Amino acid sequence: MASYLRFENVTRRFGSFTAVDDVNIDIQQGETFSLLGPSGCGKTTLLRMAAGFDKPDAGRILLDGKDITPLPPDKRPVNTVFQSYALFPHLSVRDNIAFGPKIAKWPQDAITRGVDEMLDLIDLKAHAGKKPAQLSGGMKQRVAIARALVNKPKVLLLDEPLAALDLKLRQRLLVELDAIHDEVGITFIYVTHDQGEAMSISDRIAVMNKGTIEQVGPPAEIYEAPRSSFVAAFIGDTNFLDGRVTEAIDPRFSRCEVNGFGSIVIDNDKPVTPGDRVHLSLRPEKLLVSREQPSSSDLENAIAGKVEDVIYFGSHTRYWVRCGEWRLCAEMQHRKYQLDEQSPKWGDTVWLRWHANDGFLLEQYRAEDEGLLTLPDEDS
Amino acid sequence: MKKSRLPFATLLLVLVFFYLPIGFLVLNSFNNSRYASKWNGFSTRWYERLTERDDLVAALGNSLKIATGASLASMVLGTAAAFALRHRASKLQDAHRLLVAVPLVLPDILMGMSLLLLFISFGLKLSLFTITLAHITFCLSYVALVVQARLQDFDFNAVEAARDLGATKLQAFVKVTLPLLAPGILAGGLLAFTLSIDDYVITYFVKGPGSDTLPTLVYAMIKKSKDLPVINALSSIMLLVTFAVVAVSQRLTRPTPSSI
Amino acid sequence: MNKERRSEILATAPSFLWLAMFVLVPVLIIFAIAFRPALPAGGIGEGWSLDAVRSLAEPAYLSLLLRTLWISALTTAACIALSLPVAYAMARLTPVWRSRVLLLVIVPFWTNFVIRVFAWQQILHAQGYLAELLRGLHLIGPNDRLLGNLGAVVLVSVYTYLPFSILPLFAAAEKFDFGLLDAARDLGAKPARAFFGVFVPGVRQGIITAFLVVFIPMLGSYVVPDMVGGTGTQMIGNKIAQRNFSDRNLPEAAALSGALALLVLAPMFLRRKEKPQ
Repeated sequence: MASYLRFENVTRRFGSFTAVDDVNIDIQQGETFSLLGPSGCGKTTLLRMAAGFDKPDAGRILLDGKDITPLPPDKRPVNTVFQSYALFPHLSVRDNIAFGPKIAKWPQDAITRGVDEMLDLIDLKAHAGKKPAQLSGGMKQRVAIARALVNKPKVLLLDEPLAALDLKLRQRLLVELDAIHDEVGITFIYVTHDQGEAMSISDRIAVMNKGTIEQVGPPAEIYEAPRSSFVAAFIGDTNFLDGRVTEAIDPRFSRCEVNGFGSIVIDNDKPVTPGDRVHLSLRPEKLLVSREQPSSSDLENAIAGKVEDVIYFGSHTRYWVRCGEWRLCAEMQHRKYQLDEQSPKWGDTVWLRWHANDGFLLEQYRAEDEGLLTLPDEDS
Repeated sequence: MKKSRLPFATLLLVLVFFYLPIGFLVLNSFNNSRYASKWNGFSTRWYERLTERDDLVAALGNSLKIATGASLASMVLGTAAAFALRHRASKLQDAHRLLVAVPLVLPDILMGMSLLLLFISFGLKLSLFTITLAHITFCLSYVALVVQARLQDFDFNAVEAARDLGATKLQAFVKVTLPLLAPGILAGGLLAFTLSIDDYVITYFVKGPGSDTLPTLVYAMIKKSKDLPVINALSSIMLLVTFAVVAVSQRLTRPTPSSI
Repeated sequence: MNKERRSEILATAPSFLWLAMFVLVPVLIIFAIAFRPALPAGGIGEGWSLDAVRSLAEPAYLSLLLRTLWISALTTAACIALSLPVAYAMARLTPVWRSRVLLLVIVPFWTNFVIRVFAWQQILHAQGYLAELLRGLHLIGPNDRLLGNLGAVVLVSVYTYLPFSILPLFAAAEKFDFGLLDAARDLGAKPARAFFGVFVPGVRQGIITAFLVVFIPMLGSYVVPDMVGGTGTQMIGNKIAQRNFSDRNLPEAAALSGALALLVLAPMFLRRKEKPQ
């Protein structure tokens, strides 16, 4: 697949701080591509360099094969949807949307047509004469999108476009944004720190940390097959286990000794040989909690532990279970919850069960990423 | 717990104290008597007398000319200064900030005296022109102060958005920055205008013979106890104009809905 | 030089050069001309002379300086004493009333200064209603005057500068956490004790600003003592004007101005030290 927007060895420093460190990304035409990471990871800097508000210290940015690195923002065929909307408060909705076309000196009837099309697209025709101050947050965001899209940019850059909105509205606008993307079919680059937003809207996600790309891939791959402890911990919640490979069962599975609770079966997500030290990520929802010892099977692991903490979330319950020196987090959906049901309580001994396929071997593990995990209060 | 009424009583008294002399002036301007101490019936004769005083009209003309020139020039200089002062970390701006602050704290008499000596040293003839130069100097700082405050909650993303939508730097400035800052700049200009109209001390030092402004002429009349009731009438009209200007500037500086 | 720096300098240049030319240079000229000889016919002579600076040693100037400081201090103290309860009351008003009252406080400051002083001159006039009233109540003697004395100068000065001291104190009071007063009352303090022990220290920064914006311009006061004062209430400003316009002795006027400038600069340094806190 040919790359449409390409970051080539892009580096940006602010004084001694390296905001973006030798980043390479290839984005395809028409896809929705997310830059996901915590604040300060360099995602916004990357976006601002694509828009032309910032220039890389090294490397270049290519759009459709042309080097756009030296171009100022007004000479680039890309447009931005700003986090704070950045609507012009002195102009009406219509004039906000018409701003770009007027600057580009479209003929009058083309401007009218273009703006009307956009007003239809965002369903704000009735509010065309209003000033931004008279609009709700969601409407402002839609105007910001229309104002950018009317110029028919080759790439639309969205900088945390929903961050200022409340949860319900955010979810609705995400669906709308997806629909708009389907309709206009141009490339979207979506910057966010919210993994849920990124997961639901993206074709592919680049997870960023400290100015570098940790992993690029479709949402499911990022979630199910995280390459590093950072990706595993930043997206969703997980448990980290480390152990030593003791024997190869067959080409796909190995046996592994985890300090404190004995031997478990793992999937060979990466090539391992006996003696290797491995780090395993185990998502809480993959762990089944039961009060009785499950019947053992070849590729299932089962270990016993003591419930140390229970938090009821409505749709599910979270358990923290002490297994030797490990404290594992498990999540149970309530599909047929009954109030009189005997669910595990604090102090109960329970069994945690998971299939070897449900754990994932990390290529890269850093102890500091444990800090990203949700932990119960030690006192509770 | 009972709240103390004393501070509120003080506030009320202070407000009475503020408006008492002003009310007294207006009332007296309709006093038929030549002397402020005796009420001798309602009359508008002092207002009629006003129209006969060509020197007052000429002085008013001078004041307006100076105030217009000073406020326009200080709007340009002060706005530029406010933009420059945004660069916080700059050493140059530390010096600049100090320079802008000096006219705000320097007593008028020192400003008037120092400018007089400057004009004499450079052999500049004292005239309406030297008055205007002096007024621009102190107005500049006030405009810079007002525009600076406006710039603090100015959304620079809007300027970036304009650039993103294809506007050149100049287009973004003309179509976005300027319209958005216009109320602040105008409010600064209005403040400059009233300060210029109001100034007596500095003007007195740098005015040449015959180039009287309204305050300097009124002052001279008061000192000579000449036509005092006419001054009351004139004052009442000036108060009216001032209140109108305040009302207008209130509209301008009222926070726009967008900044809420 | 990068683009950012160039646009900064471009924006700085007009006001910077203007203020250097019309503020910095003139202040320096004051000090230069203080060392020039005066011409008998008025004007500035050639060469250098210490006459003007030496004239500052006259004993009359010492009492002039002390009087100026005294009147300024009295006015400043009165302004702050009045502004404290006013700022307190304003900060406790509802936001709508707060902005209304704020406007009421600011408006007098927008009206013409000379006219405001003139109004007081009429109110305090010997044959005015106020004098008659006070005489009728035997509060003043038949020959006592309300004008031409220290009281008149301080009263009218307070009238002129009160808005300037209310504004910074109000700004400080607005940020003050009034819950602290409730806490003080809860801990047993009487209202006055809570006001002076908690509120006043809480708005300390506002008091300092109020002091500076009243005291410094007061040192250069000229119009008020000239219009409602008498020979016994002359301040440095009046002397400067007299040397300048009546005596036509520019070097002596410059020497006095230079002395006043130094007097004014002292509290400004105080403020620069205060800033980092």
